[in-house]
Amino acid sequence: MRDYEVVYIFKSSLTTEEIEGRLEGYHGRILALAGSEITAVEHWGKRQLAFPIDRNDNGYYVVTQFTASPAVLPDFERMLKLDDDLLRHLVVLSEGELPVPVQYERGDEDRGGRGRRDDDEVRKKAADKVPEDGDAAEEETETAEDDAEAAEEAADAAEDDADAVEDDVEDDSDDAGDDDDADATRRD
Amino acid sequence: MAFRKVCKFCERNVERIDYKDADTLGRLITDRGKILPRRATGTCARHQRQLGTAIKRARYLAFIPYIQGYHS
Repeated sequence: MRDYEVVYIFKSSLTTEEIEGRLEGYHGRILALAGSEITAVEHWGKRQLAFPIDRNDNGYYVVTQFTASPAVLPDFERMLKLDDDLLRHLVVLSEGELPVPVQYERGDEDRGGRGRRDDDEVRKKAADKVPEDGDAAEEETETAEDDAEAAEEAADAAEDDADAVEDDVEDDSDDAGDDDDADATRRD
Repeated sequence: MAFRKVCKFCERNVERIDYKDADTLGRLITDRGKILPRRATGTCARHQRQLGTAIKRARYLAFIPYIQGYHS
């Protein structure tokens, strides 16, 4: 069983009797299934439409609330669609008083509150323990390692520079030797 | 610029936005019939979602126009 709400828009040319007759027909279809119940029928009466529907500028609005099994709906809606004097209809789950969400919110708050407190306690314990012994020692070793690495890198860089210098020197001397040789051959 | 801090619907403790409330919905659409953004109305995320659904239902039922000022 579910609570539904239907809005009907009839052609405003229909008389009140004709509309009542149609509503009885529709509601008879709902009530055909055991356990169904029409909880409220509200006639809003003739109202101007925000835009013309099938060249009608006005419509007769009726809002109905009912409780029924979802199994009723296909048959019920087919009946509404086939009625040419019904401009529009909308069936939605009823948005009246909703006891379920209120209960849900209460339960949620309780659960959330407890859960948060537990989490906080766990976090505090963890936070108290860790920095005293573990973290500090780790940080020290890390910094020491970093220093060592930095020193190695510096040494490597220095070696590279030294190599480069040596290469330059060697090149120069070779060139010089070649020049000497060349000069020698020319002299010869 | 006037800045609304609290959502209209939260202020009034609206649990469900009613698609039949044409006056309220009519204030939350532009003069062309478009849904106003949250930044213009200050509506909270939860109610803006409901509002979208409500406006679309209200349009179908001709409570508010799909497009305004175009046909005439």
